[in-house]
Amino acid sequence: MKKIIGLIAAITLALGMWAGPSAAAEDDRVLQEQRAAELVDASAFKKSGPYKIGVSAGYLGNSWVVFALQHIKYEASLHEEITDVLTTDAAFNPAKQVADIEDLVSKGVDLILYWPVDDKAIEGALKKATDKGIPTINTGGGYVHSPSVTASAFIDQWNLGEMVARRLFQDLGGKGKIFAMLPIAGTTAAVDQLAALKAVMKEYPGIELLSAEYGDWNRAKAKQITENLLQKYSHIDGVFSPAGQMSIGVAEAIDEAGRLGEVTMSPGDEYNGWLKWVRDHKQGGAVTFPTRVGQEALRLGLRMLRGETVRRGLRIPSEYISPGAAGAYAEMDRPDDWWASTLPDAWKPK
Amino acid sequence: MTDANEQGGGRWRFVAQSWARSYAIWLVLALLFVAAATLSEAFLRPIYIFNIVRQAAPVGIAAIGVTLVMILGGVDLSVGAIISLTAVLTAVTMDGQVANIPLAIVVALAAGALIGGINGVLTAYNRISPFILTLGMAIVVTGVTQIYSGGTARGIAAPGFREFFNFRIGGMVPVLAIGFLGLAAVGVWLQQATRFGRSLYLIGSNPRAARLSGLPVEKVTIAAYAVSGLMGGMAGVALLARSGVSSTFAGRGLEFDVLAAVVLGGTTFQGGRGGIAGTIAGVFVLLIAFNLVNIVGLNYNAQLIVKGVIIIVASAAYVYLKEAR
Amino acid sequence: MRNAASSALGSRYGIVVLLGATLLAAVIGIPEFGSLGNLTNVAIQSAAMAILAIGQTVVIIAGLIDLSVGMLIGLIVVITSDLMNGQSAMTPIGILVALGLGAGVGLINGTLNNLLRIHPLILTFGMMSVLQGTIFVYTDRSVGRTSPEFVWMANETIAGVPFSAILLAAVALMAYFLLNRTRFGRHVYAVGGNEEHARRAGIATGPIKVWAFVISGLSAGIAGILVAGRLGTGYPNAGVGFELDAIVAVVLGGTSLAGGRGSILGTVAAVFVLGVASNALNLLEISSFVQILIKGLIVVIAILLNQPKRTALA
Repeated sequence: MKKIIGLIAAITLALGMWAGPSAAAEDDRVLQEQRAAELVDASAFKKSGPYKIGVSAGYLGNSWVVFALQHIKYEASLHEEITDVLTTDAAFNPAKQVADIEDLVSKGVDLILYWPVDDKAIEGALKKATDKGIPTINTGGGYVHSPSVTASAFIDQWNLGEMVARRLFQDLGGKGKIFAMLPIAGTTAAVDQLAALKAVMKEYPGIELLSAEYGDWNRAKAKQITENLLQKYSHIDGVFSPAGQMSIGVAEAIDEAGRLGEVTMSPGDEYNGWLKWVRDHKQGGAVTFPTRVGQEALRLGLRMLRGETVRRGLRIPSEYISPGAAGAYAEMDRPDDWWASTLPDAWKPK
Repeated sequence: MTDANEQGGGRWRFVAQSWARSYAIWLVLALLFVAAATLSEAFLRPIYIFNIVRQAAPVGIAAIGVTLVMILGGVDLSVGAIISLTAVLTAVTMDGQVANIPLAIVVALAAGALIGGINGVLTAYNRISPFILTLGMAIVVTGVTQIYSGGTARGIAAPGFREFFNFRIGGMVPVLAIGFLGLAAVGVWLQQATRFGRSLYLIGSNPRAARLSGLPVEKVTIAAYAVSGLMGGMAGVALLARSGVSSTFAGRGLEFDVLAAVVLGGTTFQGGRGGIAGTIAGVFVLLIAFNLVNIVGLNYNAQLIVKGVIIIVASAAYVYLKEAR
Repeated sequence: MRNAASSALGSRYGIVVLLGATLLAAVIGIPEFGSLGNLTNVAIQSAAMAILAIGQTVVIIAGLIDLSVGMLIGLIVVITSDLMNGQSAMTPIGILVALGLGAGVGLINGTLNNLLRIHPLILTFGMMSVLQGTIFVYTDRSVGRTSPEFVWMANETIAGVPFSAILLAAVALMAYFLLNRTRFGRHVYAVGGNEEHARRAGIATGPIKVWAFVISGLSAGIAGILVAGRLGTGYPNAGVGFELDAIVAVVLGGTSLAGGRGSILGTVAAVFVLGVASNALNLLEISSFVQILIKGLIVVIAILLNQPKRTALA
């Protein structure tokens, strides 16, 4: 009797440990969704206009954020009660972003939209802002749950990663060796995309992940890493790369090695350089990473300033664009470092 | 009165040591190559070798110019910023039209030479440290690049531009590789066969004597920095050919890789010695070391540790060879 | 005009004059600048860099240079944050580790410099690469949390004066005393001025140089504590570029890269000129791209105006 109980206990334990991590990942997602749905009592932030908006950019050396910023400025132009949009750029220096946020508070802004170099590094500075009654909104990253972040206008990276992974595995016919090209290590995007990839991989036992690499949203770096991988692995079937900016670097490296025929690219995003490539090669497609999150973030902020109750997490959905349709979105006469967007021409970056 | 044998033996040792000193880096390169080939037979394939040459192009081309400046006794830390600027300038001038390519390249070279010329003029006529001056210029150029581009990497490479440079002649040799080696040959010619080159060595080893003997020190200085800037511009074009239009910071940090290669190759900060041939070898030593780290399966970031150790060890070896008599 | 300006700036305390002028212009021209809150911010934002630059001043006066301090700060930030993990009890250990790492790496630099006899620029450049690689092999993302005491030290004030500014003043005074009132300090100037003469005069040049590197490393340790407190987390790229900013400040402050001359006050003033400028430009809402350009122009113009007088030497 004891032996049977012991056996059952051992099996249960083993099952639990095997299911544990994935269950934990599932739990994290559920928890995140619950938290995002929580309501924010914005009465503390209620203020009458005119409003000064502060944008603390962790970096502006990336075309996606430049577009997102243009979205913010465009949206601001539609509201008379906004007098000013102040932008600071930390140029990838977290200590500078701390200083920038402090400076914005000194300038008396009523709302702070930001994207971080590093979430934890600026928590203290953001707290100083919220303590002064200035709502803070994480723009364009993942969902952040923290007392110093009033709300997040976010793109669900897990969902994006899942959509990309499913498409890729379907295109691969359910089996093959792949590698993953992820953004800056430690960011929500990188963590969630990889987690989603692994979760979907469970449904496709024929897929093998050779390596997870971090290309930092840098086309040249992604290309260099891919060249190294091509040399290391004699056979690669597919690439999981949701960021079009890196996908194009990956694709070029594979092309130059003459191995484009053996590799299937996953959908990227609406990065113009990638869309052009998709149009020319008729494979890949895109899952969008909308730059209009900037507009949504500002609108969310304005609602809070008016005292309306909002949810902590505002999700901007991603859409799938098939390879065929990508052609319509690609702007051939625009640079590679450009994004398909809903911005009116006058507001696009110069 | 020394014994004839002893004298003969001493001379041989001297010859051997000075040979070793001049070609030390080639020895290191050869050793490293052998080590790499035993670890991975990929190194024996010509296609792979030329791949490395192609990867080395941007840093290598910039290093040619910086070598000349360092022989003079100066240093140029602005090349990284120049590369970023010219990569964007070239793409914008090209604007997707094949017909614009020659103009685009001229614009890049001119911009590089202009910035180099400014560096040269400021250094030649003032008593300031080229280290800080070119550092400050790097920041200025970075600011200009950012303002000019507005943060997005503007410009469209013409169709075929990238393909042309990456096209392998005879299925093996990429055009970019030939371009790189060709520029290196030009650099060596400048250094060895022209009066300009000889002046560099003379001024570098003894600036006072050079001035007293009537050498046009200011003109040579300006020319050296201008060439360095010009090479930086060329490197920007090469980078564009390799990586496409990706960012307004494409060249950031490259000045340190350039410096590492030049120093490894035997050119020192004091000036008056070294040469481009050594620099090229230095570039390859670093690149092979990186590739080795990657093949062996070590953490990608271990490359940095390897780079640092190689620099320190190789430099120490040079000093040892120089001083051991 | 140029001569007047250059002689005003070329004078020993030219950089202090420049700081005064910049502060005056900022207070008059920008309403928010003069507020106590903003001035406190500026002090806090510049304190760590000033401390780092003081260490660099010592090492440059000694005729050397230390490019490894930026990455050293990064390593210290990462390791102390990971060790402390937010616990107050670990604060003393965190401080010890920071100072120990700083002094330790400085000791290695100094020993290797004496042993290998390669140019300190190359040595510390190689060391910078080694340290950077070490950081990234250790972690590729932010780790750990600094303890509340670290955060307090980096951000809070005592009776209105930021603790970090008090720390800076203490370090500056100690450095000034060390360099100008002790035999050790005189020896440092001697070694930097002409090492051969110093050796012949009986000065133990080897140990002096080691100590210079140790002081540089220690300054990185103290600065690292403040940077860690500012960030609150172990961000691997924390110190990137700090060494160049420190060297620029040292040179702008009137210290010569050739060694043998230099001023702690000048260095600290230079750090604050750059810090005030950055803050003022932010408050003026000048685009960050233009800010970069302005910073570069300040550096170039300042060294042109601040050159040493022409001497007979080539």
